[in-house]
Amino acid sequence: MALVSHLAFSETDVEADADVIVVGSGAGGASIAVHLARAGVRVLVIEAGAWRAGSDLPSSAYGSMRDLLDNWASNLTMGRAGWPIVQARTVGGTTVINSAICVRTPADVFARWQAETGVGGGLADRVWAHQDALERELSVQEVPAGAFGRSNTLATEAATALGWHDHAMRRYVAGCAGSGQCIQGCRALRKQSVDVVFLPEVRARSGVVWSNAPVDRVVFERGRAVGVRGRFRDPTGRRGGRFVARAPRVVVAASATHGPALLRRSGLRGAVGTGFRAHPGSGVIGLYDDPVDMNTGATQGWASMVMRDTPGLKLETLALPLDMLASRFPGFGAAWVRQIAQYRYAAHWVHAVRAESVGRVWSGPFGQPVVWYGLDKADMVRMRDGVYAVARLHVAAGARAVMPGVAGVPGVIDRDSVGILADGPLDPRAYTGILSHLFGGAPMGADPRASACGEDGAVHGVEGLFVADASMIPSNLGVNPQHTIMALARCVGDGILARA
Amino acid sequence: MLWGVPRDAPLPGRRGGRVNALIRHTMCALIPSGGALPGVAECGVDAWIVRFRAETSVMMWIGVVAGSVLFVLTPVWTLGLPVPSLWLGPERLDAHASRLGASSIYPLRQLVLLVKMMACLCWGVDPRVRAVFALAPYPPDPGTWRS
Ligand SMILES: Cc1cc2nc3c(=O)[nH]c(=O)nc-3n(C[C@H](O)[C@H](O)[C@H](O)COP(=O)(O)OP(=O)(O)OC[C@H]3O[C@@H](n4cnc5c(N)ncnc54)[C@H](O)[C@@H]3O)c2cc1C
Ligand code: SF4
Repeated sequence: MALVSHLAFSETDVEADADVIVVGSGAGGASIAVHLARAGVRVLVIEAGAWRAGSDLPSSAYGSMRDLLDNWASNLTMGRAGWPIVQARTVGGTTVINSAICVRTPADVFARWQAETGVGGGLADRVWAHQDALERELSVQEVPAGAFGRSNTLATEAATALGWHDHAMRRYVAGCAGSGQCIQGCRALRKQSVDVVFLPEVRARSGVVWSNAPVDRVVFERGRAVGVRGRFRDPTGRRGGRFVARAPRVVVAASATHGPALLRRSGLRGAVGTGFRAHPGSGVIGLYDDPVDMNTGATQGWASMVMRDTPGLKLETLALPLDMLASRFPGFGAAWVRQIAQYRYAAHWVHAVRAESVGRVWSGPFGQPVVWYGLDKADMVRMRDGVYAVARLHVAAGARAVMPGVAGVPGVIDRDSVGILADGPLDPRAYTGILSHLFGGAPMGADPRASACGEDGAVHGVEGLFVADASMIPSNLGVNPQHTIMALARCVGDGILARA
Repeated sequence: MLWGVPRDAPLPGRRGGRVNALIRHTMCALIPSGGALPGVAECGVDAWIVRFRAETSVMMWIGVVAGSVLFVLTPVWTLGLPVPSLWLGPERLDAHASRLGASSIYPLRQLVLLVKMMACLCWGVDPRVRAVFALAPYPPDPGTWRS
């Protein structure tokens, strides 16, 4: 094991050993790493991205894309529509750029897993117990009234008017300052992302973190995983020395796209790369008579799950920075200028589709994940319903017009005409969709032919190799996934400790 | 001049400078000034493109170049005028931008949208733009990391 507790780069080749190697330092990786470190396990966390402390974090959307987002958010789904797959590549993973929304895993999810994949006897209780602990460790609290802002307040009023059940978000945030900048990373360090809370603790407990260290392959000997190898590369693209790390247990927690791609690059096949799912979403801008100033207040402070079961949607507010949202205003040239001039009067709200469509993940020629994914007709109907639902919410909040961002319908629709969205197109290419909640790619299940790992994260047929991130989740959740991912990762950690 | 692009267009190199100038032309057509709002041309777009080129991913750069070349070559399709967009006057350029951006052909629409998105990243950080929307200027992006 190297003597330093954080190695950010090395010009020369590096070798190290540990009890457990964790590849990826995001929600799953950091959560299992700290769990193992607390039990006295020597953990080595190896992360592809750089470690950005509060003062290193960017301010602008450009800076966020350059410094935090994986490949500038330019990884697109392969399918009829090329929708961006948004993830982070930094120490702390996507928790650094997310809105820190904390939702416990619903009971129906476990029932579904048990029915469809054969996993789950007692899993729900173990996950919920870990979620209790995580909520304490990560200071989960409701968005404080002082940080709510007008956009979130308008959504609350709209839900009341429509009779839709709603709630203020509970988030992993200690005293939100309401800067509306979660996607650029929380410079105020109020967000309890795993780089702020768990990884320093891993280091304090004799664990080691390597950053700027993309793992290229898992190394096997006689059918068991014995380590990983890769090569240091800093954010400027400068290549450093090669690294080899050895451990009797390797945990892959590199996300639902990079994890399966890494496993496939390492020669694993079978169900590895299958069962990729997502909650694709899109946003609708509402235009109000008085300024909304959406960037004042929590980035995402309000949600409604009233449509979680039927038709399968989650509704949320989402403030995006001007430089990121401006291109969503309709029109080009002078027509766009007329629309963007109303930015202060705009609120941006979104829906996430609880999609049933299933895709695949491959490893591309340069090692990048290639995601084959598209929505079937039923999911496209949900997508359309989601746009319409958010538009109705805006109207109920008093918006005079909405900007749905759907090709083939007007860019600006006045409040009395939003009904046309109910008959909107079902072609995915018409929608400005993105994927931010990702699942599967190495799904868990009892049957080794249909799944990549068991509920303990152990990869079928390979000793010493585990999955502990979003890729093990075998279905959609219909709720924000970080809490489920972190708790499942800890369950995987329990299994490793039990075997030790 | 090559297609109306000055030979002394920004670095790096003459060929690179022309590519940058095509991107600049497209961005300025998509994000012009109007009312109290400066256009991207007044927001340091030349330096921004040079920086973007140096820092962005290959895929992103290819997309922005492709979108800009497409923009320059297609007035014949949008307006029926067999000239590059560089030769169009302001009104026709605006009509070209609107029609191309609203194209029913998905890849064309997406490429133009990509250039617009990148132009907005440049435009939306300008302190004068932000002041119009009562937004505080951004502190610089440090671009640093823990070593
Ligand atoms: C904009 C946005 C907002 C979101 N908001 C919320 C929210 O509010 N609440 C919520 O519950 N969920 C939210 N999510 C989703 C949530 O953040 C993710 O589901 C979760 O972080 C995924 O956890 P993970 O461990 O699977 O992957 P990640 O957190 O993405 O971590 C994977 C890590 O592995 C690293 N890695 C990849 N490849 C390699 C390699 N080869 N070698 C070494 N390291 C590698 C990556 O750089 C990354 O750091 C949001 C997502 C996005 C994009
Ligand atoms: S809204 Fe601002 S202060 Fe609150 S968690 Fe997000 S970035 Fe931090």
